Amino acid sequence: MEGFLQALAAGLLIGAVYGLMCVGLGLIFGVMRVINFAHGDFMMLGMYVAFYLFTAAGVQAVFGNAVGPFIAILLAGPVLALFGYVVHLTLISHVSGTRTASLEGEGHYAQLILTLGIALILQNGGLIIFGSVLASIRTPLSSSAWELGPVFDMSIFINKARGIDAVVSLLIMTLLSLLITRSRIGKSLRAAADNPTAATYMGIDVDRAHRTAFALGSGITAIAGGLLATNYPFHPFVGLEYVIVMYAGVVLGGMGSIIGAFWGGMTIGLVQQMSTLILPTQLQNAAIFVVFLLIIFFRPQGFFGRMVERT
Amino acid sequence: MLRIEGLSAGYSAKPVLNGVSINVDAGQFVAIVGPNGAGKTTLFKTISGILRPSGGGIFFNGVDLLAVPPAQRAHLGIAHVPEGRQVFPSLTVMENLEMGAMTESGRRDWAANIERIFAWLPVLAERRSQFAGTLSGGQQQMLAIGRGLASSPKLLMLDEPSMGLAPSTADFVFERLIEIRRQSGLTMLLVEQRVAEALESADHGYVLEAGRVVLEGNNETLRADDRVRKAYLGM
Repeated sequence: MEGFLQALAAGLLIGAVYGLMCVGLGLIFGVMRVINFAHGDFMMLGMYVAFYLFTAAGVQAVFGNAVGPFIAILLAGPVLALFGYVVHLTLISHVSGTRTASLEGEGHYAQLILTLGIALILQNGGLIIFGSVLASIRTPLSSSAWELGPVFDMSIFINKARGIDAVVSLLIMTLLSLLITRSRIGKSLRAAADNPTAATYMGIDVDRAHRTAFALGSGITAIAGGLLATNYPFHPFVGLEYVIVMYAGVVLGGMGSIIGAFWGGMTIGLVQQMSTLILPTQLQNAAIFVVFLLIIFFRPQGFFGRMVERT
Repeated sequence: MLRIEGLSAGYSAKPVLNGVSINVDAGQFVAIVGPNGAGKTTLFKTISGILRPSGGGIFFNGVDLLAVPPAQRAHLGIAHVPEGRQVFPSLTVMENLEMGAMTESGRRDWAANIERIFAWLPVLAERRSQFAGTLSGGQQQMLAIGRGLASSPKLLMLDEPSMGLAPSTADFVFERLIEIRRQSGLTMLLVEQRVAEALESADHGYVLEAGRVVLEGNNETLRADDRVRKAYLGM
């Protein structure tokens, strides 16, 4: 029982960060319908940006070892958002949006090749620049825990870094859903996603809406990556490990649903941690995909997906 | 207000419009009628900038529209109520109306506009927090019209507002449009297959066939024309 609760707690904590990671991708897919295979590598860049901001750019010196990493991680968000903005402006916009709206397949083939190409460049470029040595964003909080309980002679230990990671994720998620549901920009992003042509009739610049979504999605996933890096060491090819989890999360949540992507990521985190109770750790990822298949089998549109044709 | 000169347009190899010239003066209600495939929707898409013409010019209040990016044209005062309604299904009725009011004038007049729109189309007020995708066809059409009005347009372009609606609903939508037009004096450009209704209420009409204007005139001239009577009015 104690083991079960401990795994549940671990699953919820990691699930919140996975959720945030998936939301970044889900936002891009939901608004642009572009499948960004380089998204895992954007996350890898976010991890390194947070790492260098912390160790080399003076964040550690100013804010110390406990708060410093989180400041650096939050700062990596805007840096990667800017990176995403530039990548969209110079590359992605040429194969997506209004430019390809009238083409067969809406430019999906070109998008596939382009984003895979960006992924390769980022991975190998990362190898040249950052080297192959494992890096991590170390904080003393990663190796200490809060004890919940004991209640009925049971206590659950919450790793402090992971606890803060989850809280930061939930905060950003809340801010994002407020932005998407309440603000003028958020509503115009949703309108552009629903029907790009009609959005143009309203005077919404659809390509600019796409750029905003791409930048936001990149920044959000970068923050999620930085949060993961407080517990998991990383390397230039780390994106490959996560991009599959991201896609599974987005599909589980329902393609196109931004809030759904969060719950998809949460589900994956829970399954991954709970599976360790009955399966060897090597099979964690296998467990994720068994559950993934089961859910998709019974609910092909995902948790929040709508069974309607896009107009 | 809107001057279209010798406009030609189409999809890659297939020309749809062939030297179409149309004029809409301020305060006028102009109807363009014609059979399916005559190029009516293509004409509207070209005015809104979704399609680039292969020749000719479009001028709106003296501005060369072809030099204006598509998303900027709404800000000049052109509201396009598209064929098949095209409301934003995952946005609420109110949010759809807000999207209509993305233009500067729409934001400025928001409170007054929304009051007028709700008075003209009360069903929108009743359903304001419902998702647009869950509305019936007629309600979606009224939302599309309301959304167009929310921008405080100078010109309201309506593409087949009766399409896919039950005859009684289509009649109702028409009746609402005439009432809106009577009260606001808004300049309207209507494309319609229901030729009799469209010509009855319009000041001026054009008959478009196979991408060409084959006939134009004020509503008496057109309704008295033999070809129109035989082909469209069933007389």
